Order: sequence, then structure tokens, then C-alpha cells
Amino acid sequence: MLVELKVNGEPRSADVPPETTLLKMLREQLGLTGAKLGCDVGDCGTCTVIVDGVSVNSCLMLAARANGADVTTIEGLANSNELHPLQEKFEEHGALQCGFCGPGMLMSAKNLLDKNPEPSVFEIRDALAGNLCRCTGYTKIIEAVIDAGRAMNSAQTSA
Amino acid sequence: MATRTKDIQTDAEELVTARESRAPAQQPLSVPADKPVAFPLELPESEARLRTPAVGQRASRPDGRLHGLGQTQYIDDITFPHMLHAKILRSEDPHERILSIDTSEAEKMPGVIATLTGAEIPENSFGPTYQDQPVLAYPIARHRGDGVAAVAATSEQLAADALEKIKVEYEPLPAVFDPLEAMKDDAPKVHGGDTNIYTSKTIKKGDVDKALAESDHVFHRQFRTQMVEHVPLEPHASIASWDGNGRVTLWTSLGRITLGREDLARTLAMPQSKIRLIGTVVGGNFGGKNEITNEPILALLSKKSGRPVKSVFTRGDEFVSSTIRHPFIMDYTTGVSKDGKILARKIRLVLDGGAYCSWTGTTIGKGSILAPGPYNIDHVLVEAYAVYTNKTTTGAMRGFGAPQVCFAYESQMDDIAHELGIDPLEIRLRNGFSENSLSPTSQTLQSVALKESLTQAADRFGWKEWQA
Repeated sequence: MLVELKVNGEPRSADVPPETTLLKMLREQLGLTGAKLGCDVGDCGTCTVIVDGVSVNSCLMLAARANGADVTTIEGLANSNELHPLQEKFEEHGALQCGFCGPGMLMSAKNLLDKNPEPSVFEIRDALAGNLCRCTGYTKIIEAVIDAGRAMNSAQTSA
Repeated sequence: MATRTKDIQTDAEELVTARESRAPAQQPLSVPADKPVAFPLELPESEARLRTPAVGQRASRPDGRLHGLGQTQYIDDITFPHMLHAKILRSEDPHERILSIDTSEAEKMPGVIATLTGAEIPENSFGPTYQDQPVLAYPIARHRGDGVAAVAATSEQLAADALEKIKVEYEPLPAVFDPLEAMKDDAPKVHGGDTNIYTSKTIKKGDVDKALAESDHVFHRQFRTQMVEHVPLEPHASIASWDGNGRVTLWTSLGRITLGREDLARTLAMPQSKIRLIGTVVGGNFGGKNEITNEPILALLSKKSGRPVKSVFTRGDEFVSSTIRHPFIMDYTTGVSKDGKILARKIRLVLDGGAYCSWTGTTIGKGSILAPGPYNIDHVLVEAYAVYTNKTTTGAMRGFGAPQVCFAYESQMDDIAHELGIDPLEIRLRNGFSENSLSPTSQTLQSVALKESLTQAADRFGWKEWQA
């Protein structure tokens, strides 16, 4: 079946079998391998992408359900000139160890900061509750999100 | 020779200069925030790498940038033209004899290109300590996660469907699950023979029984720890490609590629010179990716099909067929003087090994040596046994047995402190290692900062205030 959607601002489409998940379509048909397959049952969050302003486990969403949707993946976070503040701060704080949870973690954090520019630690923990990090780097991750939020706010204030 | 000495001198001088030139307050060595992403990607040289010693300096990971951009290539992010996907059928019961395997129905399915069973593997055994583990079980499956057949198909979904068409006839065998039961003479034998104990270790120092008899107090308690799966976020994954010159290349999430190549050469019965192993970025290892798993299967499926073959474990595969941390049963008997000085410690460790040995040799060694704890004890006896059971194979996991015994000896230190009315910190300071202490195996220890570390930690987190 033909699925047409917008990914990172570009119209994309693919002809996929009906059982194809959004994750499979992104990775295999569209060549966007940033979102990862960790558990395939929605527990680990490595497949997190943003669909119409909501962070979702793309392993649980059928590609067909995303037809017509606006999807943002990790590949859409930076442009060729600059990193997203979250990427910058994750790198700076050492919040990425093996890196496998990174793309999902970053997308959940982005979705949080888009809606809540000054989250409390509790709100950050809540927003990242669906993203597991087995290197146990949570402290650094939370610090990086706080720092990125501050950087984004001060950039906005000075603009 | 003279040049060599000069080099060493120069190095030492440079080291001192470097140390002196270190500014007292270190700037965080991170990427400047105003630095744009530049392509081609030029990674910033971490300042910590340019200076020695680097201890105490903040360093950023060289691969952090690509991780954050989502551009790091893990195995599952790599594809090749005409690549096939493999899936593995696993045994249904904890212990069974395979009477027959019929893959013909699976092979008839459109899109299924090749199948493989244990009987087709040139040398069907591997392992880092003993070679007791089959690549695909045949004729005996010893735990629920043993692979019995594999399929390579044009899609992952087709390969999964094809597994359902494979007919395996089993004869159930008696199984054993508790390691203490497994040590009994009449227990079913996981690997035949007359015992399930497959490795043991004894550490003896002084006369433990005499010292126990002379102790003012003797404490005894049994401690048990559970099995733990590593759950790396990236499941085990590999790709094999057999080329026209009879060589095979493997891209794998394996952490120990040199050892892996040795195991591959053995299982494939071919020289190591014909095997190329490429270790890629690994999405979490924690000890669970230190030996081969499905690599020989993929190599042979690639040989049969003439196409590259990829396989990624499902999360279920990961739990049942990759290794886990050894559960320990630990009996601690400790003799103590009135003032809380440990005089003797007698320890019996039983390691639940699961179906195959894997890294048990290392685990039992480290676990035994560390079992008495970081304490000066003149009389020590450690007896450790690793036992086969019909359960998931245990192997390496962060610390090789050290966390298990740490749980036991530190729990018992608290028991002793409580019973004798001594502050738990104080009892550790009275018994703890100091400079030139002897380890249980009589190694002289240097750079021992145990007591300083404990005191500093206690000060920082307010131990005294908490006690008050």
C-alpha cells in the first residue's frame, strides 16, 4: 500500500506491505536509520520519532496510520550548519555513551522542550520515562536536557 | 639500548613538564557551542588526549557527535544488495533429544533461500573456556533457548514465517534447574558423565577450622543472587558474506573479535586467514557480547545462498539465548573476635552455570579471589563450584562474579557490626586492607586507598549525622 507522509519537512512516500511499521518504513524504505529497533514492543524507546507534534514509539505505529502525517526524526534535528541545542548539550555532557538510546532520547527531549521550555527535573524524568539507557547515563542525560532548555530560552530572549 | 634509556628519560621529563603546566582550574574540554556542524566531519581533538596525565580532566567522546546526529552505523543500519535475513528456531523444552528435523516445507516457501541445522555445521562446538556449546543444538538441546535450525529468506517476516514450517521431533529428557539439586549424585546429567560440576576452585590460607574454633563469635548465613540479563539496547546482530574465493567476512556486534575469529575457524573448520571479522560500533555490551552466537550460522547460510545474510536477535532471543549473569548461592561462615576483628572466613560458592560453560572459568576465578572481601583475614577457605543446569547459559557480565560476592561479604559485615554493636563504618576500618596488605591469594597490594575512600565518602554524605 502507498504511504505518503512528510518527513523532516520533505514529502516522502513508499509502497509497503500493510504490516509494515512506521519504524520499518523509515529505516528500510526511506533510508533513515537514526531511529533504532531495540525491543519492537514499545518498551525501550529507541525508535522514538515525533508524529504531528507527539512523540511516538514508531515500532508500534503502522506506517499506514502515519499516512499524511508530519514526521520528525533524529535526522531532522540538525541542519548542515548547526546542531540542535539538545545535540550540542548531550555531546558536551557526555550523555551519549554507546549511543543506541540517543536518537530516541533526543526526540523525546525535543518533544518536551517544544511544549515546555522550562521543565523541572521531575518533568524531564517523566518525559524520558519511556526511553531506556542501559549504560545508565540518566544523570548526564537529565543535566543535558536542563542545559539545552536554558540555552534555547536565552537564545530566544536575546533574539 | 642507550637510545631506549634516553627515550624513557625524555618521556619522564615531558610527563613532569606536562603535569606542571596543567592549570589548576581545568576548563571543560567540550566542543565550543558556537562551532557549526561542518561536512566533511572534522571531529575536535580532545585536549585530554593531547595531555598526560589525563586523570581529572573532562573529555568528550570522539564518537558523541555522530551518536547525537543519529548517523552512527550499528549493524542493523548496514545493508547490502541482495541481502537475506536469517531467523533461528529455538528448542521447546529445557532438555530434549532431537530425533529428526524436517526443513523441506520451509524450503518450498517462495523467498526462502537456505536452511541450516546443527548436523551441517563442520565442528559444532565453541566456547571461551570449554568448547561445550553447540552452534545449533544437535542431537541434544540443553535449555529452552538452544537454536535447532535456521532459515535465510528475502525478508525478516518471511524467515519468521518459515520457522513455523520446520518440523522437529523431540524426545523429552529429564531436566534439572536447581544448582544444589544438580550437584546430587542422582540428578539428571546435563552433559552426560557422572557429575554436573564442571569447574571448581579452592583458595586456602592458614587454618580456617582452628581459627573458627578459637573465635569469640561465629556468624553464618547463606546469601543468594539472581540471574541478570544484560539487555543491551542493541540486540546481538551480525552480517556474513561468503565470497567467491572461499573467504567469509563478518560484520558483528561482537566485542572480542580475535577470540571470535578463533571460534569461527573452529566451527567452520577453515583457517583463520580466510575469515575476516569486522567489529562495528556496539550498542551496549556489558559482557554479553564477548563470544560468538549466530556468526557461524550466518556464515554457512551465506555460503549456501551465495548472498550476504543478516540476523538481528529479537528481544526474546536476547533473553533466552544470549548469556546472563551467574546466580550465586553463597554460604559465609565468619569468625570474629570480641572487638570486631575478623579472624577466619570459610566460604562455599555454588555458581548456577546454566547449560554451557561460556565465561565461567573467569567468573569462578574472580568470584573466589574476591569472595573474602577487602579485609585482612589470616585464615581463609574458599571452595567454589560451577554447576550445569538446564537453564539459560551464564557468562560474562560486568565484574565476572565480583558483585555477587560483594553483596554477600558486605551484608555479613553489617550483620557482624549490628550484632557486636559496632558502627558499620568502624568495623570496615578495623578490618580493611591498607598499604602492603595481602590479598586472599597472598598478592601484596599497593596504592590501597580503601580506608581513606571510606572515610572521605562517609564525611561527604553525612554518615555520622545520619547515625545520630
